[in-house]
Amino acid sequence: MKELSEIVIPGELRYARDHEWLASAPPHRVGVSDFAQDQLGDITYVELPAAGAVFAAGGEFGSLESIKSVSALYLPVAGKVTAINEALRDDPGLINRDPYGGGWIVEIAPTDPGQAASLMDAEGYRRHLGETA
Amino acid sequence: MGNDTELRRTGLFPRHQALGAQLAPFAGWEMPLWYRSGAIREHLAVIQAAGLFDTSHMDVFFVEGRGSLDFLNYAFTRDLSRIRPGRAIYGAFLGSNGHTVDDAILYPRLEDRFAVVVNAGMAPVVMAHLRELPGSGQVSLREPEPRYGKLDLQGPAAASILRKILPGAEQLFADLPYFAFRGDFILPGSRIRLEDGTPAILSRTGYTGELGFEIFLSPDRLGAVWDRLLELGKPDGLIPCGLAARDSLRVGALLPLSHQDIGDWPYVNHPWLFALPLRGDGTFSFRKDFCGAAALRPEENPHTLAFAGFDQRRVDPHEAKVLLEGTEIGSILSIVTEMGIGRIGADIVGLASPNRPEGWTPRGLACGFVKVNRPLPAGSRPLLRDARREIEVEIVGSIRPNRTAARRLS
Repeated sequence: MKELSEIVIPGELRYARDHEWLASAPPHRVGVSDFAQDQLGDITYVELPAAGAVFAAGGEFGSLESIKSVSALYLPVAGKVTAINEALRDDPGLINRDPYGGGWIVEIAPTDPGQAASLMDAEGYRRHLGETA
Repeated sequence: MGNDTELRRTGLFPRHQALGAQLAPFAGWEMPLWYRSGAIREHLAVIQAAGLFDTSHMDVFFVEGRGSLDFLNYAFTRDLSRIRPGRAIYGAFLGSNGHTVDDAILYPRLEDRFAVVVNAGMAPVVMAHLRELPGSGQVSLREPEPRYGKLDLQGPAAASILRKILPGAEQLFADLPYFAFRGDFILPGSRIRLEDGTPAILSRTGYTGELGFEIFLSPDRLGAVWDRLLELGKPDGLIPCGLAARDSLRVGALLPLSHQDIGDWPYVNHPWLFALPLRGDGTFSFRKDFCGAAALRPEENPHTLAFAGFDQRRVDPHEAKVLLEGTEIGSILSIVTEMGIGRIGADIVGLASPNRPEGWTPRGLACGFVKVNRPLPAGSRPLLRDARREIEVEIVGSIRPNRTAARRLS
């Protein structure tokens, strides 16, 4: 298990309380944080939505199955799925190895681009982890 | 997190932390789920090379005194009348209702002396059960003080790694079949000595389905032997492994987890009938009387069956139902993703299968045990359904092919 100080939290992303991240600039990719992948353990399967699917903020858009558990994925802001990361079908471990890069999960077109501002920045997310850990 | 302070820790706990273990409570102990390699690599290492597990949380107790053999022969499901020295024996302790108190490995020592290895935290429970049985007044039941430290070295490379710290290994391995053990539980007197003189008990057992050893040690030698094995085993691919890999490996090897796959229902209609003293004449009758025997009526009890899926997707075992042609027939006991196997066509192929295609990497298959209200032949295809999804699985007689547990050592 990583110490809180070892958890990588890139400054350019926004974060939801459920540990998803959102790129606030296009392409608006969504994934899960380093903390989430470390807690879940090795990912064995990613259930992805169909491209074109529309979700409300907090809507369940898929699930991550790890060696330990099955966890729902929640979209941090309302939006339409414009692309899914097909590479995860063959290599779900990308999420463990590169949670902010090759392990991105979906790309979305946010319904309200302003909604990203309601999410935590890196500093806020690190504080959130400190409070929940 | 106030409960954490009450969790017990093995002597290796600081090493688990230093190795970056993800820790979790397990049966009152704070144990590693996996280390930095992650559970998948740990699982695969045990199939292809070797893994080292801290199993010091498991309980041991002694049954001693004249009459111990007869006493245990009534208390335990296996027929002990034909035990041979140096052979460990797997079975279960049942209540008079036929329910499983715990499963165990019995180590016959000198005449009328047995060591019994049960699951973590279970020695007091099993001993309390045994004290209620006829004949308990004639035997002494006690837990060793201090506890043993125990390391499980598991995987096809386990023997070559152990050779590096075990003088005289060649001679020992020449006659050490699966489920044999050497050395004595009174450790200072054990003739099994590691290179540095550490007395040990060496048992060719483990719960992974792969070739390996359980090594019982004095707790003050645990750290040194753990370090030495990891260092010397590194070139052979040895890595520390946690409880997650242990769980997925044992399911792939068709082994039950006590209080999950066997438990508060009669110990019958399951894949482990070898642990019952069946006459072997095709009838369901026993060679001996034992506690719980009368309650083991096949026709009145549920059936525990192994299954394998067609891909790696699982369902939530707590909420999922087992369905057959639209009818709910039972529930899931265990479900894991066995990462060492996959399907080629309809066949289950493993990383150790001679018929696996070159360069083939399995994606893993969901597998486990279900408890259903009727017998189902192998090849049956029930559905497992939870709120998220429905997966088709196949009832099977074996899960991970080409396991090495019983392979010859020399």
